[in-house]
Amino acid sequence: MQTIDPAAMAHISEVSVSVELQTADMTLNIGPQHPSTHGVLRLVAKVDGERVSSVEPVIGYMHRGYEKLAEVRTYPQITALVNRIDWVSGFANEIPFIVAAERLMELEIPERAQYIRLILTEMARISSHLIFMSSYPLEIGATTPLMYALRERERVLDLIEAVTGGRFHPNFNRLGGVKPAAGAGAQTKKVVQDLPAGFLEGTRAAMGKMFEICDELEGLVTGNEIFQARTVGIGVMPADKAAAFGVSGPNLRASGVDFDLRKHTDYLPYDKFDFDIPVGRNGDCFDRYQVRLDEIRNAASIIIQAVDTIPSGPLQAKVPKIIKVPAGEIYVRAENPKGEMGYHLISDGGRIPYRLKIRSASFSNLAVLPWLLEDQLVPDLIAILGSLDFVLGDVDR
Amino acid sequence: MTTNQSDADEAPEEAAEAPVDDAEATADAADAPADGTAERAQRFAELVGAESWTADHGLAKIRVSNEQWVGAVSTAHKNGMPFFSFLSAVDWSRDVAVGEPLADEDVDERFELMVRLSTLSNDDSITIVTDLDKANPAIDSLTPVLPGANWHEREAAEMFGIDFRGHPNPKKLYLPDAFEGFPLRKSFPLLSREVKPWPGMVDVEAMPESAGSPSTENPEATDGVADDAAEGGVSDADD
Repeated sequence: MQTIDPAAMAHISEVSVSVELQTADMTLNIGPQHPSTHGVLRLVAKVDGERVSSVEPVIGYMHRGYEKLAEVRTYPQITALVNRIDWVSGFANEIPFIVAAERLMELEIPERAQYIRLILTEMARISSHLIFMSSYPLEIGATTPLMYALRERERVLDLIEAVTGGRFHPNFNRLGGVKPAAGAGAQTKKVVQDLPAGFLEGTRAAMGKMFEICDELEGLVTGNEIFQARTVGIGVMPADKAAAFGVSGPNLRASGVDFDLRKHTDYLPYDKFDFDIPVGRNGDCFDRYQVRLDEIRNAASIIIQAVDTIPSGPLQAKVPKIIKVPAGEIYVRAENPKGEMGYHLISDGGRIPYRLKIRSASFSNLAVLPWLLEDQLVPDLIAILGSLDFVLGDVDR
Repeated sequence: MTTNQSDADEAPEEAAEAPVDDAEATADAADAPADGTAERAQRFAELVGAESWTADHGLAKIRVSNEQWVGAVSTAHKNGMPFFSFLSAVDWSRDVAVGEPLADEDVDERFELMVRLSTLSNDDSITIVTDLDKANPAIDSLTPVLPGANWHEREAAEMFGIDFRGHPNPKKLYLPDAFEGFPLRKSFPLLSREVKPWPGMVDVEAMPESAGSPSTENPEATDGVADDAAEGGVSDADD
């Protein structure tokens, strides 16, 4: 056991006093590995006591150069790349890209394929929001909701896996429709196997559970006094500021903007279903949480409606074996779980894109952070950071 | 193709008389949907005093000069386009180190800088573009008028080598500080492809019996495919 020299102790106390007299800005490094950063993000925060005077996010640790890689890959190969952008909702990433290419090719997509795309996109939304429901309370100190939310997320992942074969990276979309299941096609002639047996009933049952978990989370988290104290009125983002930074999705709707691309664009047949857009009032961390919780309920309701009305028919439009996309320039965007995801696709008529600009939601959602964290308290830093619900794969691309 | 030059007479209805690049574009104009894209493009082109505009595939594209750039984006942003979607660039180049060269060999070599703005009430959007000189790609920064452009400009700067004059924080965004070169330029090679050709290219090589023809039927889709779907360059060779 070490003994402490009293003379040294006296020296230490002197030092601490003199440090306290010279409080200056301190640079606080958060990350590059931190549980609340959902990937590899580093924040360099300048703090003055308990106040954050400025924050600079350092990104690029997950940069994989997809825009460059897309310039050396054929269109069918790119879907495998793009569902790794936002890895907690892989399926949803494929949709705007595949729709952009299909529109340039002027393909008519069979209705059943569109419904399957829509169901799986909404499942990806539930999966993404359940990750938020587990991680966000955890980041501000509530460990229990994690167990509840991740338990229910397994149901959704199992369903996605049953259809596509992959839990996170389905790579299931094909130009002209969705992938025919094993056994479908020329060999089986008239029998087209698409959705696995029991999928529709299983989906109905699982969506019933989604309403239950929302109620459970409502009881566990929403009314919790500590949770409210950490989130209500914290990190307020005005709507005009959010729009000028390009913040989209639930983060924008929490600021009171009633805007959802599912209502305004036709990349998937959302106009056939009845659903509301949850909108927040104050634009604080609590509203960003509440909007996402309500979106789980909405997504479950859309999926049930789609399962009830899914038409039968083919899964694939007729496409050439060697896919060349006619020359043209198009931008297709979709309401992904994290916000507006779009692809600006330029084709010169060949087998590979000339340029593919990927507009990912988390990139712009994170770009507002330096503005949002200015002059906040250090304890609120993680609460605000977590409430933006970004994934670093979606930031860095 | 709906297109308009400011020195051409005026209305988009006269676009059919405008020079058309190729036969495919003519076909587009015949069945171009009346979705208001052309009207929107024309309205904003007049508002910002643009050189020209196009409206294909729902993309209202407005071309401005380098001097108009900041003013045009700022004006559109304040007049009904509050949402900043993205800023990026395209390297139009005849020589490419990766991928396939452009089909159009006479392309005007340039960097095309683009910014996309949207409404928050419907699907209306506009894309404002400007052409930058390849030898000296520099332009005034949008960040002072549009805070969201900050990171997008830093990305375009490091990826394409564009100088955004007056940017408040002109540092690299993704790449290490010591990185040399501009990865998204077409002249920048992809090293892994230099070492080893892309094995994935094999599965799209033409089959021996259909060499050079893009219209081979898809054997996976011979059954249960939509019969009315074979349009637009897809031949019905199997029928």
